[in-house]
Amino acid sequence: MLIIILRRLGQSILVLFLVALISFLIFRFVGNPVDNLMGQEATLLQRAALEEALGLNDPLYKQYFNFVWRAIHFDFGNSYRGALPVAELIASRLPATLELALTSAIFALVFGVITGIYTAIKRGGFIANLILSTSLIGVSLPTFLIGVLLIWLFAVELRWLPSFGRGEVVTLGWWTTGFLTISGLKSLILPSITLGLYQLTLIMRLTRSEMLEVLRQDYVRFAKALGLSNKQVHFNHALPNTLVPVITIAGLQLGSIVAFAIITESVFQWPGVGLLFINAVYFVDIPVMSAYLLLVGVLFVFINLLVDLLYLAIDPRLRDSQLNGER
Amino acid sequence: MSENLLQIKNISVTFKTRHGVLKAIDDLSLNVKKGEILGLVGESGAGKSMTGAAVLGLIDPPGRLSSGQIWYKGQRIDQAPETIRGHEISMIFQDPLVSLNPLRRIGDQLVETILTHMPITKAEAVDRARKGLEEVGIDPERINAYPHTFSGGMRQRVVIALALAPEPALIIADEPTTALDVSVQAQILDLLKQLCRERGTSIILVTHDMGVIAETTDRVGVLYAGRLAEIGETRDVLTNPKHPYTKGLVASTPRIDASSFDKTLYQISGSMPKLDAMPNGCAFHPRCEFALDKCRIDRPSIIADRAACWLLDGEETLL
Repeated sequence: MLIIILRRLGQSILVLFLVALISFLIFRFVGNPVDNLMGQEATLLQRAALEEALGLNDPLYKQYFNFVWRAIHFDFGNSYRGALPVAELIASRLPATLELALTSAIFALVFGVITGIYTAIKRGGFIANLILSTSLIGVSLPTFLIGVLLIWLFAVELRWLPSFGRGEVVTLGWWTTGFLTISGLKSLILPSITLGLYQLTLIMRLTRSEMLEVLRQDYVRFAKALGLSNKQVHFNHALPNTLVPVITIAGLQLGSIVAFAIITESVFQWPGVGLLFINAVYFVDIPVMSAYLLLVGVLFVFINLLVDLLYLAIDPRLRDSQLNGER
Repeated sequence: MSENLLQIKNISVTFKTRHGVLKAIDDLSLNVKKGEILGLVGESGAGKSMTGAAVLGLIDPPGRLSSGQIWYKGQRIDQAPETIRGHEISMIFQDPLVSLNPLRRIGDQLVETILTHMPITKAEAVDRARKGLEEVGIDPERINAYPHTFSGGMRQRVVIALALAPEPALIIADEPTTALDVSVQAQILDLLKQLCRERGTSIILVTHDMGVIAETTDRVGVLYAGRLAEIGETRDVLTNPKHPYTKGLVASTPRIDASSFDKTLYQISGSMPKLDAMPNGCAFHPRCEFALDKCRIDRPSIIADRAACWLLDGEETLL
């Protein structure tokens, strides 16, 4: 088991180096950083000095390794605006995005799997069909429209929930959390639904079709023939077999939840890294953009690693074939 | 020995399709006696497996038991088949590679089944599971192994252990050896036969293999196009078949002996009618060399407790 984890870890590190390369190239080639940093009044001498100081005259590979080396130490340079270190900027925004992404991922996964199982077991039933047709809304409406509609209904008309921001947050060390205050939790509801609705319908439809497939398998019929109750058959036998593909997709979706958060964060003025990124694009704040890219890359790779390991935990066949391949 | 354990009375299984309602089983009746092994033989699509599925209420929609009754130990079960599954009647499927849950240890599956039917503690259930594995010739130390670590024959042994675990009085074995190597087939059949004889468990053995029927069963029912063509003691049916279809089946069974090498095998001409193109009268008459005018019009029921064939009409005394 340890060997498999180590090997997956090695692969992940390789991928991260590639992501870093792209992120580095953006920094290096999207406009000249010296122009951005010094403005128009700088003399040629000043420019040359800065180029030398930034290491821009070094060979490319050396610059790349410098970039990676500094990235490992969370040094992404300073933001062009406000001259704050990018790492600090992101660290202050990251908790907001991660809390939002986590909440909506859990929302999507829990409700997606539950409704997926329900619609598979009660196939053709009235409520199942109702859920299925309602879910089409989740697939077909764009995120920002769902967000605006939710704001209109719950914030403007009913005045139940706030329409923007994180509400009150509690600071725990360098982490700020909205989980511990009422207004923080209330503020989470609308953005999480907005962000998670598409994923929810996707997971639901996937769970349903996988479950229907699994219910046709002989081991399910055999379990029934052995007199196990419907509950045992559905949850002990069918569900675990359904979850393997669902976990893959859900895992990948968690990555895209963080990526899609940009739109939701804009709609709800959520103070996370997505909003930071949008503003960075607006002001061509290259260090922030490349650091954000690297961050998303790391998240994706990390989630994929987690999904792979979950696979191994669920499916014994995979575990054995991986170990045999190792010998 | 003569007590009826299971009585299938005039059942029909129908499928609603775009081409209308198809009858996969048409007015079929048969009895299973206590402790006997009843073979069901016939071509693919003759309704053998469907009969087994009907007893346990495991017919997949859109198919359904549309008429008839099934009685077990004097109780009608076709309306609530889930009450007898496992501890009264259990089933073994054709392909052991897909009848075990790949994600769960065989011990867990055994213990779950045992605990579902018996009011005993988990530790006692584990004990029983180990004993069950030992009986089917599997090292009880492998109780925590996953199905994929076993070969096909070994998995079918596990399946047999599972089917026997709740101590049913009847096992429906749906082609239990078809997916296995020939050398393993005999072992599995012997094992199944021996374990059921010890316990007095009856078996309905569904197969298309006349050799298996000859070696294993006490009585045999021959199915054709969803109808019972012939039924009787295995020895009688195989050595003195009454229905022309059974005669054809017996004649077309390969034999390995010195005289058979330069002979071509007998073939029944034509093929079984499709469910949506069932002929009037006897379903077999288009292929039957002895067909009478009556066979084309009237459907024969079982005559003289033996075969559904008009040729037997009036010959009761000869039997």
